[in-house]
Amino acid sequence: MSAKWYLGTGAQNDVVVSTSVHIARNCAAYPFPGRLSLPDKLKVNDVVRAAVESIPDYSFRFSEMKTLSQAQVVSLAERHLVSPEFASSRDGRALLMTEDESVSIMLNEADHIRLQVMLPGFAPDEAYRTADTIDDLLSEKLEFAFDERLGYLSQDPTALGTGMKVSVVLHLPALVRTSQINSLITMVSRLGLSMRGSYGEGADAKGDMFRLSNTITLGISEHTAVENLKSITLQLAARERAAREEIFKSIATEDAIFRAYGVLKYARQMTTDEFMDLISLVRLGAVRGLIALDCATVEDLMVQMQPATISLSVDRPLDRAERDKLRAERVRQALL
Amino acid sequence: MLCQNCGKNDATVHLKRIVNGSAAEVHLCADCAYSLGYGDAFSGFGFGTGGLFADLFLKGENAAQLRCPGCGKTLDEVISGGLLGCAECYNTFYDKLVPTLRRLHGKSVHVGKRPNHPRGDRAAQLRRELDEAVARQDFELAARLRDEIGELTANGGDGQ
Repeated sequence: MSAKWYLGTGAQNDVVVSTSVHIARNCAAYPFPGRLSLPDKLKVNDVVRAAVESIPDYSFRFSEMKTLSQAQVVSLAERHLVSPEFASSRDGRALLMTEDESVSIMLNEADHIRLQVMLPGFAPDEAYRTADTIDDLLSEKLEFAFDERLGYLSQDPTALGTGMKVSVVLHLPALVRTSQINSLITMVSRLGLSMRGSYGEGADAKGDMFRLSNTITLGISEHTAVENLKSITLQLAARERAAREEIFKSIATEDAIFRAYGVLKYARQMTTDEFMDLISLVRLGAVRGLIALDCATVEDLMVQMQPATISLSVDRPLDRAERDKLRAERVRQALL
Repeated sequence: MLCQNCGKNDATVHLKRIVNGSAAEVHLCADCAYSLGYGDAFSGFGFGTGGLFADLFLKGENAAQLRCPGCGKTLDEVISGGLLGCAECYNTFYDKLVPTLRRLHGKSVHVGKRPNHPRGDRAAQLRRELDEAVARQDFELAARLRDEIGELTANGGDGQ
């Protein structure tokens, strides 16, 4: 396997883990997926696949969802390559994905086409440029459902307009520990953005990972949406850094980080939740220079240790206890 | 069914999530769905915000029987399911949708990118001419333009 996108590290990566851009498009000649028969879904898959495969410089792998196992599909969702909704029903759906997983295209989810570009670190301009280029090339081959007044049409009115969402995954352990996170979530929602747990939501956000995205798509240009997100991201990152300065004034923070590191290095069984709690502290220690570990290793572990993904790494189904044991073993190997 | 977050209101939003290695469904009321960040079509990037949209829909319209000529969906179905059936639905239900779109997005007119498909541009151009013709009450031209748009959109989208 070639290197995946998350094995790189990017700008602002003490706080910003990754950036993604999603674009929703529908073919004008067909009803939206909710109103589309299975044979027509397969036709849409063929038509879009042909257009995608004609794009120069990219090589996509095509998979029909129904040919994949449940664990394979859920693993794709854990790696944020498909949505949980996409994973929950497989008939008539397909996925096109580049080898490094940085570009993925869901077919017949809520829209005929859901394009995603994902890059490490803080790279909204670059991610949008790539998504925009692919959208342009597809648009030469496919006639998209578009209305002069409402923009790109989708069965879901919340995606009208640009049909574009830009998001960043932020690591905010200090804002969580200083209890600022909930008021910041409320603040960003007033600015037309949303912030929620990247793994589990609300108070239950695992690993202190949060996804910040624009919610409004109609009446705002792609450029403005990207610029807004950039500006809010940089403000949140500055606040997180200030909060880190605060919590590092106490020896308790450094102590918690090294205890977490110790448990990860020596434990014999570990649940996903415990792993996410500990790896968050270790990531904080790593970007602080306390622990000699690069962020790419941390990000890779966060992806690989999720329940379905870890089960895929062995050739048989694992029960929860076996998974927890294997997880502890893999973490020890990675950190030794 | 009650909302799984607050346990008080009826759950109207049903979302798919990945929990411990399998896809699970969560049931939330519109308020909790919003406060948990599920207020848009891409959240998480899960969908199924239909219930949320239905809650936002301005009630009291007496046009529930209005039916889309493209896919047969009625306004009633759009309101209860929160989803439109095809591109033509947006023409059919446009007036009914605009107030709700303003509540959702704050605005109801697209700014930003346009498709560069040659046929798409032609259809858009013809639609503008059609609007002008209707405004001038030139119905003969309007009928011709409508037929031409119909032909363009009926056999479009296959990229050939």
